[in-house]
Amino acid sequence: MPPNPEIPVLQFAGVHRKYQNVSALDGVSLSVPPGQLLAIVGRSGCGKSTLLNLAGAMDFPSSGTVHIDGQSTTGLDDRALTRLRRDKIGFIFQSFQLLPNLTAAENVELPLLLAGQPQARERALDRLDRVELGGLGHRYPHQLSGGQMQRVAIARALVHRPRLLLADEPIGNLDSTTGATILTLLRKIVSEEQATIVMATHSPESTAFADRIIEMRDGRIINPS
Amino acid sequence: MIRLFARLILRPLRAEPVRTLLTVLSVALGISVVLAIELASDAAAGSFRSSLETVAGEADYEITAVGGLDESLYAKLSQLPIPIKVRPRIENHAVLLESKQTLPLIGLDLVAHALDTNSTNAPNPSNPPASPSVTPAPNLAPGVSRGVILATASNRKPGDTITLRINDHDHLLTVTKVINSDTAFAIVDLGLAQDLLSRPLKIDRLLIEATDNLEPQIKQALPTGATLAPFGARTEENRKMLAGFRSNLVILSYIALVVGAFLIYNTISVSVVRRRSEIGILRALGMTRTTVLTMFLAEAALFGLAGIAIGVPLGRLLAEAAVGAIGATVQNLYVSSQPGLIALTFLSSLKAVLAGLTVTLAAAWAPAREAAAIAPVEAMARGRKDYDTSQTQFRNLALSAFCAAAAYFASLAPPIGRRPLFGYLAAALLVLSASLATPAFVHYLTRSTRHLLKSLLGVEGLLASQSLDASLRRTSVLIAALITAVAMLVSVGIMVGSFRETVIQWIDSQLTADIFLQPAVPASADRFPTLTPGMAEKVAALPMVTMVDQFRAYPIFFRGLPVTLGSGDANVVRQRGKFHLLEGDPESAYAQMLNSDSAIVSEPFVNKHNVHLGDTINLPLGEKIHPIKIVGVYTDYSNERGYIILHRSRLLRYLPDPAPSNLAVYLRPGTNLTQAQRAIENALADSRVLILPNQSLRREAILIFDRTFAITYALELVAVFVAVVGVAGALLALVIDRRRELSLLRFLGAARTQIRKLILCEAGLIGLLSVLGGIILGGVLSLVLVYVINKQSFGWSIQFHIPIAILLGALTIIFTATLLAGLYPARVALALNPIEVIHEE
Repeated sequence: MPPNPEIPVLQFAGVHRKYQNVSALDGVSLSVPPGQLLAIVGRSGCGKSTLLNLAGAMDFPSSGTVHIDGQSTTGLDDRALTRLRRDKIGFIFQSFQLLPNLTAAENVELPLLLAGQPQARERALDRLDRVELGGLGHRYPHQLSGGQMQRVAIARALVHRPRLLLADEPIGNLDSTTGATILTLLRKIVSEEQATIVMATHSPESTAFADRIIEMRDGRIINPS
Repeated sequence: MIRLFARLILRPLRAEPVRTLLTVLSVALGISVVLAIELASDAAAGSFRSSLETVAGEADYEITAVGGLDESLYAKLSQLPIPIKVRPRIENHAVLLESKQTLPLIGLDLVAHALDTNSTNAPNPSNPPASPSVTPAPNLAPGVSRGVILATASNRKPGDTITLRINDHDHLLTVTKVINSDTAFAIVDLGLAQDLLSRPLKIDRLLIEATDNLEPQIKQALPTGATLAPFGARTEENRKMLAGFRSNLVILSYIALVVGAFLIYNTISVSVVRRRSEIGILRALGMTRTTVLTMFLAEAALFGLAGIAIGVPLGRLLAEAAVGAIGATVQNLYVSSQPGLIALTFLSSLKAVLAGLTVTLAAAWAPAREAAAIAPVEAMARGRKDYDTSQTQFRNLALSAFCAAAAYFASLAPPIGRRPLFGYLAAALLVLSASLATPAFVHYLTRSTRHLLKSLLGVEGLLASQSLDASLRRTSVLIAALITAVAMLVSVGIMVGSFRETVIQWIDSQLTADIFLQPAVPASADRFPTLTPGMAEKVAALPMVTMVDQFRAYPIFFRGLPVTLGSGDANVVRQRGKFHLLEGDPESAYAQMLNSDSAIVSEPFVNKHNVHLGDTINLPLGEKIHPIKIVGVYTDYSNERGYIILHRSRLLRYLPDPAPSNLAVYLRPGTNLTQAQRAIENALADSRVLILPNQSLRREAILIFDRTFAITYALELVAVFVAVVGVAGALLALVIDRRRELSLLRFLGAARTQIRKLILCEAGLIGLLSVLGGIILGGVLSLVLVYVINKQSFGWSIQFHIPIAILLGALTIIFTATLLAGLYPARVALALNPIEVIHEE
């Protein structure tokens, strides 16, 4: 079924998240439409990562609701959450998080294999081509540069065509030139594939590539525009 | 230093209590098995004391002769004009019917003791009755009463009547005295013993006390067939004979400890790999290489000491369980003896402590040195790293090939002092060779089966295979440990299976008669109770019987070693027997046995004494020495002492005791076995005889065989258990180490069931690779066991046979156990919080 442009890819409604007595998110409401690159900025500990975890169906809100592509995460069991992640979400991490004992192509095809989808290798190689790493699929992570590793991570995040891409400080470990290349690539993905990206970042360079910027402090969004 | 040790070593160990406990447990089990076998074999065989040495006291010489000595020699020696004291002994066994206990029956000249004016004490092991301090019980004079001095654990008191079964008759005797003793025995007067054993005027041994060296004078007075030897020489020979058996057992017991060593190596290696960056930082902060080395060695020592603390008391307990089984094997294969008390001495404890510490420190040495060699800059720059073993694989393969070649040459070398030392070396080299080849084995096998695993088990199979290959450094050691344990099980299984099959075939050829008769008292490798003479004729007279073979056995010494001398009817063997002669022509051999002083001898006898077909051996029979020609060599597996078999009538010329040890009865074709059995029972109603149909005797023989090897299997199983415990511990380490990877998989959409399946796939792969490697190594080791160690230790040839069903069963259990060992680590993996783990990273 084609995605409905009327339905937000990610929607938070009055979301609170508490860890013991510490409030990590405090009444966050947010709606991200399809094809938007949203940058979340704020200091360390402001709640960016918690928001991404909830958006990635890795965690549950203490109260409020989170909808991913129209589906509420509340009340879903582990199996359903796993399926949601598998089908609709892709992750990009600051430290790439590639499996060192798998080649680039093997890393990229992993989500497809976990989901039991066919033609995993072909699709993985195709993805690597799109991030301009065609021909490097046989290399292991330690044989790649930082930028190349992050491209592999992006290819892996996109290989199953997720509706929502969550990026946690995607250029935090890269120099400025490589960082810019990665951000350009993310921008291109949004434009060409109508993907939705929610990116947590510290860097002003990153925000320049965003369609929308929200700032967080103490678990709240302080500029909800 | 202690503070550093507590922070850097103890704290991580405390953080993973289950893994720490599993490592300690594997070391403890290894140590306990070594100690248990040491203690139990020492009690059963090491501090060997023949049952017949009961109340022998001290003496300087002993005189013996095959078939016994004439009583007149006692009088003759006593009258020699030299200062000696002579003590005659009759030595046999009896069964105390009330308790079914077999005890040594000793005949002593109690009257002589009574006449000794210095006598003050009753006979007991510490104050032998032959010493001047013996007061006989009031009614012990021969012919006056059938009295017996009894030492048993039962509540007997003077005046009680007991029944002793001696050979095939029951005798009522009156207890005249009861002695408190650790060992059970019964003492009767010499004359009564001769009467009870139907051996008039015969004695078994004369013990001599002499103040000076009077050997020449004593020898002069002896008949040529009698042997004068220093007192205790035979006990010493028996002890030597048992030493080989003991060392085989002790070596088997070390397998579990060696497997434990692999696991220590693995644990310390994992520690080093995990703390690589930590070590780098510490080195940068000023920690010396020696301190790093010491810390990791101290970690190993800690495992060793904790293992010792649990292993020593556990070993003492296990020894109680093992001593019965080892004692039974000694009785069946070697000599009648009573296991001594299990004593956990300082020395045996020290040995266990040293073995435990040496093995753990030696196992930890290589990884600890590697930790010390870590360069700070490199360690900090690259962070945690799992070593790439590919560079060392070629070198290890070359070393492995070298070890295998060395093992081949070691297996060709002869034994040293009747011990297969080079055989053991060959086995150890093969294990080393396999361990060195294991990384390459795992690497190539996981690589080549990757796609197969993916199609069979899905992505989890693929990931498991990749993970094993990627962490070869730690998984290969673990797999090598399990391969060693499995290989030992396989090889010993094949060896015992081959032996069993050979014995079954041998029993088929030996037990050709329909019914066997023997006294209803236990026999052993050196104890041959006899039947009343004339019994064979009674049985032969029955209408359904066609033939009766009378077999007689004597425990003798030949060239200082215990041997069994036997006699049977060569005619019967020629007509009915299916004796397989390894050397010599059967027809000619039996013809020569009938007409001359010729014998066939068993294979262990030939190997032990280095004699050959056609050789003539001099046997002291009765009062003279007789040359006997070897005309055939036959296979025999009943004991490892070796047999010399003469034709019955030829042996009767020199040892005119007609009492047979057992009878083999051949029935007319078509005879009903039960009816025949009943007819024999009726004919022999006045004797206590065991009538065993062919099938029951076969069953009994196989039962004894299986019982003999029960302890071997138990030792193997402990080694496998240690290895499986190790798998659980190591998988746990892998899970903890791969937290990031497992958590990432959850981010990438892996379900919890997939994580569980992944860990179980890894466990299963470890199990499968180990079983596969174990089969290959075990197969090669079994050749060394069957054709080198067994042959050189026991002197018998066995046919190679693979007990497929048993091995398949055992290997399936091991594989399943390994798979199950993955359950707990899988649970730990599922309990990981992916968010926390990724955040930490």
